[in-house]
Amino acid sequence: MSEPTGVIHDIGYRHYDGVRLGRAHATLALALHSLRGVFGLGRTARAKIIPFLLAGVMMLPAVVSIAIMALIKQEAIGYTTYAVTMQAVLAIFLASQSPYTVAPDLRFRVLPLYLSRPVTLIDYVGAKLAAMVVAMFLLLAVPLTVLFVGELVIDLPGPAHTSAYLTSMAGAVAYAVLLSCLGVAIASFTPRRGLGVASVIAFYLLTSAVSTVVAATLESVNDYTAAAWAWMINPFFLVDAAVQVGLFGAAPSAPTTYPAGAGVAVAILLMLALIALSVTALVLRYRKAAAR
Amino acid sequence: MTILATEGLTRRFPRVTALDQLTVTVGPGVTGLVGANGAGKSTLIKILLGLLEPSAGSAQVLGMDVTTHGAEIRRIVGYMPEHDCLPPDLSATEFTVHMAQMSGLPRTAARERAADVLRHVGLYEERYRAMGGYSTGMKQRVKLAQALVHDPRLVLLDEPTNGLDPQGRDEMLALIRKIGTEFGISVLVTSHLLGELERVCDHVIVIDGGRLLRSSSIAEFTQTTQTVTVEVEEGQEALAARLTELGETVTAHGRMLLVHVRAPETFDTLRDAVCELDLCLVRMEQGRQRIEDVFREPVNV
Repeated sequence: MSEPTGVIHDIGYRHYDGVRLGRAHATLALALHSLRGVFGLGRTARAKIIPFLLAGVMMLPAVVSIAIMALIKQEAIGYTTYAVTMQAVLAIFLASQSPYTVAPDLRFRVLPLYLSRPVTLIDYVGAKLAAMVVAMFLLLAVPLTVLFVGELVIDLPGPAHTSAYLTSMAGAVAYAVLLSCLGVAIASFTPRRGLGVASVIAFYLLTSAVSTVVAATLESVNDYTAAAWAWMINPFFLVDAAVQVGLFGAAPSAPTTYPAGAGVAVAILLMLALIALSVTALVLRYRKAAAR
Repeated sequence: MTILATEGLTRRFPRVTALDQLTVTVGPGVTGLVGANGAGKSTLIKILLGLLEPSAGSAQVLGMDVTTHGAEIRRIVGYMPEHDCLPPDLSATEFTVHMAQMSGLPRTAARERAADVLRHVGLYEERYRAMGGYSTGMKQRVKLAQALVHDPRLVLLDEPTNGLDPQGRDEMLALIRKIGTEFGISVLVTSHLLGELERVCDHVIVIDGGRLLRSSSIAEFTQTTQTVTVEVEEGQEALAARLTELGETVTAHGRMLLVHVRAPETFDTLRDAVCELDLCLVRMEQGRQRIEDVFREPVNV
């Protein structure tokens, strides 16, 4: 008599006696999970459309620029002006994706499950912020890097723009941190994703409109110093003024010259204050949500 | 061995006192925590997880103090909340793997454990589908799976049978029993219904208004309230009279008769009486003690 083959044995419950890693591992896992989610990976096909479409649009100037460099041996778009030129795309990405990092956990009440595990509230907020910062950085840094590699390969006459590239990378870090903190903090106040998207985009439109109108008015009365400050109401110009121009001496991307000397210090402090304010708001918001 | 112990545990909120001088000890096995809504069950669970500070008193879980060792406790304790907690656009597999990683399991181990646990709770092919389309029964199973995925030593289940149909309820209760016995994981399960917990628990704790009403083993509980409910089509009075004649204690309760069970022979007497009187027996069932009965009983029994 032959033994039956291919039988599924019920081996019963098996205990787990392998390693149990700590908070750091869990926080990293959460950040990676969120980062994948921001680009729609591990989610439905529909969730991938917007992030990949916007990432594609971000690549366009770099690709076109490389084509121009290859064909007529001339530089097209500057590294440090890339973020400011593409600010609408960055803002749309921020508005559409930052609510994803926070809203579903609040709306579907997944937060208590996270908090019943070793991670703390601060770890949770940190992981969510880190995910969004890395996403924004990649969105900006990848086209810049492609552009730089393109420039090196084409080998334009004259020296390579290495310092401009590095300045723009430092700028990309600052943009990613400031924008993500603002976006995630604003989005965290509502558990509804749609409302979060609308709030973040409204914030961007408001700051950019206000800065343009106020600056234009001040310039019409020839108050160029005040106008330079007015441009910095828009967070994109604030980072440009504080980091790219202020710290690294790039040419301003706004149609103005930013305040120099003590003005740079003020701009940097302003940027740091905004980041600190957003993070504080976020932590307070989650303290309240966790106590529910 | 003590799984958890509280000593004079008190928690006050601005307007209510959720827990009032609660002192209980829980051993291994399945323990039921019964109380009406607002009795303090969820507050107790939150304190045991170290998520809420007690206002006074102390609590220990697996020998660790909740106020100082919260993170260590949460590492080896599983928690299934009462409310919905599943993101609809993830599949059960992805979600469970993620939650295993959040408990500190490396990725490969997390995948293995998630597959194992989902099989144990009874989710098969559907675990690859997005959870938004799941039935309540399936959602409850995923919630249970995420509480078990890191192989905890204790699981806290908050109203696991909530919203389930009678069959789903039975399956969930059987699963809870299995966790306590076969899996060797201690269970603390809350419910409004004592009758339900009676079937799976070794020990039951009854709280009301944050106070301990009773804490005893299930045997003691059922001993004091052995009744059998009988429903016949006609001739209820005749049956009552016949049973009283035979020395049984009978009380009429609407269309039903409640018969006190003195000894196993009571069931035989009952059967014989129905046959002799040639009555149509509609129903005969073991009395389910509900939480209200405990409240009506004097506490000192």
